[in-house]
Amino acid sequence: MRPTAYWIAASVLALSTGMATAQEVPREDTVIFDLDRTIKDPENFNWFTPGTKRMHGAHQTMWEPLFILNYATGNLDPWLATGFEQNDGSTEFTISLRDGVEWSDGEAFNADDVVFTVNMAMTNEEISSREASTIRAQVAGVEKVDDLTVKFTLEAANPRFIVENFGVRIFGSFLIMPEHIWAGRDAATFAFNPPVGTGPYTFTSATTSRAIWDRNDGWWGEKSGFMDLPAPKRVIFLESGGEESRAQLMATNQMDAAQNVSVGTFEAIAGRNPNVIAWYADYPYAAADPCARQLEINTTIAPWDDPQMRKAVATIIDRTQIVNVAAEGSTVPSKTMFAQYGSMDPFIDAIIDAGYGLSPRGDAEAGKALIEAAGWAMGSGGVYEKGGEELSVDIHVNSASTEYTRTIDVIVEQLNRAGIKAKAVPVENGVFWGEVLPFGAYEMSYSWLSCGSVNEPWASMGRYTVKDVVPVGERSPGFNNTARWDSAAAVSYSAIVDDMADKALGDPAVPGMVAEAYQYLDAEMPFIPLVQSAKLIPFSNTYWTGWPSAENNYNHPFFWWNHTHQIIHNLEKAGG
Amino acid sequence: MAETLQTPTRAEKRQARRLRRFDNPWLNPKLIWGVALLLGILLLGLIGRMLWNLDLVFTGSATLKLPPVGFENLRKQEGVWDFPLGTDGSGRDMLALIIIGAPNSLFVGLLASLIGMSTGIVLGFTAGFVGGRTDDVIRVLSDVMITIPPLLILVVFQASFGDVSLTMMALLIAGFVWQSPTRLIRAQVLSMKQSGYVQMARLSGASTGHIMFREMMPNLVPYLFGSFIANVTTSIVTAVGLEVLGLGPQRIPTLGRTIYEAINAGALIQNLWWWWGIPTLLLAVMFVGLLLINLGLDEVSNPRLRKLS
Repeated sequence: MRPTAYWIAASVLALSTGMATAQEVPREDTVIFDLDRTIKDPENFNWFTPGTKRMHGAHQTMWEPLFILNYATGNLDPWLATGFEQNDGSTEFTISLRDGVEWSDGEAFNADDVVFTVNMAMTNEEISSREASTIRAQVAGVEKVDDLTVKFTLEAANPRFIVENFGVRIFGSFLIMPEHIWAGRDAATFAFNPPVGTGPYTFTSATTSRAIWDRNDGWWGEKSGFMDLPAPKRVIFLESGGEESRAQLMATNQMDAAQNVSVGTFEAIAGRNPNVIAWYADYPYAAADPCARQLEINTTIAPWDDPQMRKAVATIIDRTQIVNVAAEGSTVPSKTMFAQYGSMDPFIDAIIDAGYGLSPRGDAEAGKALIEAAGWAMGSGGVYEKGGEELSVDIHVNSASTEYTRTIDVIVEQLNRAGIKAKAVPVENGVFWGEVLPFGAYEMSYSWLSCGSVNEPWASMGRYTVKDVVPVGERSPGFNNTARWDSAAAVSYSAIVDDMADKALGDPAVPGMVAEAYQYLDAEMPFIPLVQSAKLIPFSNTYWTGWPSAENNYNHPFFWWNHTHQIIHNLEKAGG
Repeated sequence: MAETLQTPTRAEKRQARRLRRFDNPWLNPKLIWGVALLLGILLLGLIGRMLWNLDLVFTGSATLKLPPVGFENLRKQEGVWDFPLGTDGSGRDMLALIIIGAPNSLFVGLLASLIGMSTGIVLGFTAGFVGGRTDDVIRVLSDVMITIPPLLILVVFQASFGDVSLTMMALLIAGFVWQSPTRLIRAQVLSMKQSGYVQMARLSGASTGHIMFREMMPNLVPYLFGSFIANVTTSIVTAVGLEVLGLGPQRIPTLGRTIYEAINAGALIQNLWWWWGIPTLLLAVMFVGLLLINLGLDEVSNPRLRKLS
């Protein structure tokens, strides 16, 4: 959607003017990350509200999480907290906070801030971020034990409470806000500018296309001996605007870490700039993404409210072709809704053994038989018709990455060949996440909303229970069940999944329950799992070394997540 | 053309050639070359449709990113005769893409221009001939419209429409190419209105329609053609502009969309020159053809150019 040359020019201009107006920081002291979206409201730092409020550097440099889930070890690395205890029933959790943590304005960070922020999320129905909704749904009460200890009481048993809410399991975590600034403010409208955090960087400036964060040399972490100051004096998040400009910026060392690119593009970048590396040194280079891809279906819109029609689409789709064409062979077809991590194998195997696994190849004839069984007849134009209406579908797709658009191009082609008049509707990233998905303003869309499970099944399965169903036009809580699946089968499914919720990790009954619940997903297909995802993230060793990789695996490389604090702390000056 | 002005000997030769062709201004070489280039593109589309497997235009029909025959891509794969012009990043055959895409681009241009011209002819004649309030309205409307940059409006239109068909896109563009023919024709009609044969027709009691379309129109044909071709060029540029921004039809191959996809998928850095190069080349051929036709028509409608050359 954007002329590349313009964006390169604009980015360079933005970069140079940004550099010129703010205090000069040499390039070798600056680390530049790629941002895949526009910062719609660069003056607003209220992360409880929708928009680009976190991933432009705010939760990578300024706001720190309590814990960070380490994908390499499976442990929770303590950050602002030092540990937690839970009671036997997993209904009470006591978190110990780190001593000596300070906000960047000098105030102490303590239990009051935690209690205040959690209460704010619990009492404000208008604030809509996924993390706040989750807290609101799970927490019954929160109290301060002493300055460094907070006790949570939950509505229902949840052994995963800490990792789910405070552990950066997927993308973000529930971020604690300073009480001394937020007290008395309306959480739904407060802009929180200038923002204050506990991180080693403070906000310097932002436009719609980039944000600049400068190191706070008085950071508490160094004073208290928690950690040294990170090496980069300045962190910039810059909107690159697409694969071509991303590649040019990486090849010419104007950017240190780029968002996902295709295999061919990565090879071309590495050919021009040998300093550029990825997770693996060899093909397919990419790191496995915990969010498997899927086709989300709005189950309230005819004819897709008929499970047989959804099943037909699921049968027609050829996953192997998606892998070969859209992902250039860098990933594998999904067998179930889950990310194919080794830790998920017991659950995936249980589903496959029960006969609900997905085929890697499509079967257009079987799909057509299902469509015909639903009363459609092939029309003269090669499109199914019923009562004079053509069988058509619009598939909304986020235009931010070629991975998204190409996958949908492949699916559109497959559906059209099978007699469904499908077409892609590309929309801008912000519109896609802000207006299309949460409000059900689509027939089908490309997403990864069953994302969540990395070592247990509930996080993903729990996203499609009936309690999260809202009418089209209302915001789905935390992007859960945006398919609005609430049939009788969905109710049966939800009952089993709810039963599963309080089972501890490793409970031998769980795989069987997963398979039992999965029969309803298999029969009704409120969403169609497509392929696993691999993210090919180029990092440049020209100015900075210490990037995460398969050999240097301190954590995963998804630098738009809240765990990026770890990446930045690991960076070292190249040649220095 | 300036160069022909300065070389009398060549001009003499040309004139001799022209005399041999009974001095038919329609047979000037610029016009012939221009028409030949456009016909070439049309023939590519027509013959290609008969001879080539057009199913190859679909996503995933072939190995990705194969180079044209005789070249090698970055992965050291060589081009094969099954896909003589190579394949794009989604495994579509380039030859099939241009067989379908090139005539599509031309079609949008022609259709938009045709609609725009027809509107322009009707409005121009009406304004010029009827005059008065009608003239004021039409004149002001076209003057206002001519100041609006079409791409700006069209981007908004298409973005909100989502997917559009080729015809729809042509219609949208037509809404922005009727102003100049309207003005041009109105001016011509105003001057012609005073000429003897029009006065005579009027005195003989001919109807307005008769005078406009039977008496005056034939004299305007060369102008109309020139204006038409200029409009085709504008329309194609606009259409390609939209497509390169990713705003044209989604599933119908066009040259502009192919370029958009190439740029979007990092074809420049991957050195997949055939992906963006071939459609660009075809567009260049198309524009050169249109330019030559326009120059040729200029000679037809402006006898002075002919005599000098």
